[in-house]
Amino acid sequence: MSLFDKFQPLADAQASLGTRSPAAIATPIEAVLSPTRGVIDGREVLLAGTNNYLGLTYDPEVIAAASEALSSLGSGTTGSRMANGSYQAHRALEHELAAAFGWAAAMVFSTGYQANLGTLSALAGKGDYLLIDADSHASIYDGARLSHAETIRFRHNDPDNLDRRLTRLGADASRALVVVEGLYSMLGDRPPLEAFVEVKERHGAWLLVDEAHSFGVFGDRGLGLTESSGLLDRVDFVLGTFSKSLAGIGGFCVSPHPQLQLMRLASRPYIFTASPSPATIAGTRVALRRVLQGQDLRAQLQRNFTRLYAAAAELGYRLGSDVPGPVAAIILGEREEALALWRGLLEAGIYANLMIPPATPSGLNLLRLSLSAAHSDADVDRIVAALAEMTVSA
Amino acid sequence: MTTDTLALARQAISAALTRALPEHREIDWSQSLTSEAGLDSVQIMNLVMEIEDELDLSVPVDVLAEVNTLNDLAVRLSKLT
Repeated sequence: MSLFDKFQPLADAQASLGTRSPAAIATPIEAVLSPTRGVIDGREVLLAGTNNYLGLTYDPEVIAAASEALSSLGSGTTGSRMANGSYQAHRALEHELAAAFGWAAAMVFSTGYQANLGTLSALAGKGDYLLIDADSHASIYDGARLSHAETIRFRHNDPDNLDRRLTRLGADASRALVVVEGLYSMLGDRPPLEAFVEVKERHGAWLLVDEAHSFGVFGDRGLGLTESSGLLDRVDFVLGTFSKSLAGIGGFCVSPHPQLQLMRLASRPYIFTASPSPATIAGTRVALRRVLQGQDLRAQLQRNFTRLYAAAAELGYRLGSDVPGPVAAIILGEREEALALWRGLLEAGIYANLMIPPATPSGLNLLRLSLSAAHSDADVDRIVAALAEMTVSA
Repeated sequence: MTTDTLALARQAISAALTRALPEHREIDWSQSLTSEAGLDSVQIMNLVMEIEDELDLSVPVDVLAEVNTLNDLAVRLSKLT
């Protein structure tokens, strides 16, 4: 027996993808040239699997602000927000996030993963309940494990199923935090948010919407599905990441409840880690301003994903969502089929994501494309042409 | 725990197994869910969802971590009903 024995099923799954280079999982990206171009296996490729939804990673103002902060404030904070890592800019970003929502409080975390870990584990303690969508991101499951709350799953995107579970809790529903995502990153689908809000209100429960993949993408000011659904005054917490539309790394939780500030004293993933670097915070503040005024970027992104969804459906591909969005997940029957499509696209000069169990819901094999506002019409044409070619050669 | 609630839990597991995993023919209550019955984590999750509907109860996520066999599951469920 070895400590490593438990990894064998994962090693077998990795081996089933073959030894051909480049690897389909953790593909080596040799260079990144722009939000939509990179170098893989010595060739320039079109990047269509980066979740860089607004393409801000090369925004000149974002880079200038990050560079200036790197020079003036140093490469890292070397400390926790509770100790020496709470700079003026960290507090300013929190203020700007809260102001964007018109809410009372915001907290910044060092990664999006930690935002869920830190928020769920602190908000839901012993004697409380976490009701999470069955298809929740790993960070939500892990946040639930770190909390001492009783965690109950409800069926994916099913408000009636949630309703039954809250009914069973009776008066205890007032101590239940419901967690849904604004956009599910594996299948690219989104929840019936208003129906979830109605259920949580009826039971006096609390609702957190994780807008990791929908912040920047939906809503007039890009605040996410909560904004585009007209529900900003009816949810309790919105969680987000800096590593998608905001083009950096980090995460946040924002709430109309001023008591969110108390979480700073209790959230271990917030306390026991170094705060984000000055460059990260400076870049994110500029990116946030661009997101809030990013109607032009959202219009281009929408144009891109509407065209891709229409073309993929016409070609007979089965997608994970009926409603077009920035993630287009092609569902394939077998792992080999998904791998063949991934390799075919790469040979055509297009990088997408191969997604296989256990990372995927319902054990699905997926070829996931994600679009960016930085993709041109010609880029989308190229992706569609490659997908068409693959149906001919299949 | 009473025999009645255990029987009820077993009945719900049988019904759920048939619905969630129609290819799963024989039920051996002492079989390990993963290594012998060959269920993966997604199948176990779907199975539990079916059982929850059948018994009209919510099974906390951590209950599954304590369960190795279908019999363990039945006993654990009978304590929730």
